[in-house]
Amino acid sequence: MRPLRSVRLARLQTAADEDLMELVRDGEARAFEVVFDRHAAAAFSLAYRICGSRARAEEVVQEAFLSLWRSGARYDRARGSVRAWILSVVHNRGIDALRRELAKEGRDIPDEQLAERRAAGEGTETLAERHDDARRVRSALTDLPPDQRRVIELAYFGGFTHSEIARMLELAPGTVKGRMRLGLTKLRLSLSAEGLVP
Amino acid sequence: MSEGEHMSEMTNCGGDVAAYALDALEPAEAEAFRRHLEQCEICRDELEALQGTVGALPMAAPQHPLPKHVRRRVMRTIHQESRVARAQSRPAWRRSPLRPVVAAAGAALVLAGAVVAGVELSGTSSPSRVIHAQVIGASGAAELRVSGARGELIVHHLTPPPPGHIYEVWLKSGQAAPVPASVLFGVSASGDADVGLPRSLRGVSQVMVSPEPDGGTPAPTTKPVIVVQLT
Repeated sequence: MRPLRSVRLARLQTAADEDLMELVRDGEARAFEVVFDRHAAAAFSLAYRICGSRARAEEVVQEAFLSLWRSGARYDRARGSVRAWILSVVHNRGIDALRRELAKEGRDIPDEQLAERRAAGEGTETLAERHDDARRVRSALTDLPPDQRRVIELAYFGGFTHSEIARMLELAPGTVKGRMRLGLTKLRLSLSAEGLVP
Repeated sequence: MSEGEHMSEMTNCGGDVAAYALDALEPAEAEAFRRHLEQCEICRDELEALQGTVGALPMAAPQHPLPKHVRRRVMRTIHQESRVARAQSRPAWRRSPLRPVVAAAGAALVLAGAVVAGVELSGTSSPSRVIHAQVIGASGAAELRVSGARGELIVHHLTPPPPGHIYEVWLKSGQAAPVPASVLFGVSASGDADVGLPRSLRGVSQVMVSPEPDGGTPAPTTKPVIVVQLT
C-alpha cells in the first residue's frame, strides 16, 4: 500500500492547473510545487530571452514564482490560463529588470547593437524541443517578413515602446505600429491554422 | 513601405490595437486607446484575437532547462512559509490551556492591531501582511505585501506616468532623505504592475513611488503618487 502522502501527490500531479491554484490559495505548498514544475522551464526561458543574462533570468524567475505563491489568491480563472498568468508575470518582471539594468547603465534608450542582441534571442545550451507547439510558434514567427518580426520582438522581448523602436530603426511611429499589426495578424492566422490559438 | 503598411496608416481605428496588445504604446496613447475600446466593438474583438497571439509569444523563446538551484531555493522558501502560515492559522485554543480567554483576547488584539496600523491581514493561511497605500493625485489603488523584510508592491488601474517618465520606488527611513529602491516600473495597459522590492525593508518607515524621467533619478524630483506607511 502506498503511503497517503504519495497518493495525494500522485493526485496533484494529474490535477488541472486551475484546481491546483485553489489549493495554493489555501497555502498548499505541494500544489504549488506541481505548478512550478510544469511551468518553470518555460518561465526561465522567457526570462532568459528578455534579460539576455542567466543570472538575471534566475532572479526574475525566483522572484516571480515567490510573488505568485504569495499572491495565489489573485489568480482569476476567468481571465485566462494559469500558464498565461504565470508567463505574463514573468514577462513584466523581466522587462522591469531589463529597464533597471538600463537605468544603472545610465541610458534612456540602449544603442541599437544592445537592442539587437536582446532581440536576436541568442541561445546557448538550447534544449532539444520538448514541445512541438514551441517549435511551431517559433517557426510561425520566423516565417514573418523580417521587418514585421523585428518590431514584434523588440516590443515583446525587449520591452520597447513603438516610439523607442521608431527612433531605433529610424522609422515613422505609424510605420512601426502598422508593422506590429500586420505581423501579429499574420502570426495569428498561422497559429490559428495550426490550432494553437482560437 | 508595403501596400499593407500604407493601408494600416490610413486607418485610424485599430491602428493602435497591435501596439496596445504588445504593451508598446506610450502611456498617454494607451489611456486614450482604453477609452476608445469602451466604445469600439471592432477594436475589442481585434484586441482579443491579438492578445491570444501575444500570449503564445513566450513559446517562441529558445527553451532552456531551469537551473536546479533555482528550484531548490524557491521550494525551500515556500515550504518554510507554508509551515509558518499553518502554525499561525492553528486556532489559539489548540495551543493554550487558557483556551477561550486566549482565543478571544488574541482575536481582539489582531483586530485592534489591524485597525491601528492600517494593516489588513491577508487571510489566515497567508504568510504575508498587506498594507494599503495612499494614492495621491492619481487614480488607482496600491498595496504593499510584506513578507519578513521583503516587500512586493502591487498596483491596480494606476494612471500611467507622463510621457518620457517611469515610476521609481523610494525607501524612506525616519527623517532621512528617500533613497532609490532600485526599482523602476511602468504599468500595463490596464494600469497594473507587480514589482518585488530587492532591498530589505528593515528600518524603513515609508515606501514611496514618484514619476521620474525615463532611466530614473538618484533623488525624487516630483511628489510621490503612492505612499505606504510602514511604521
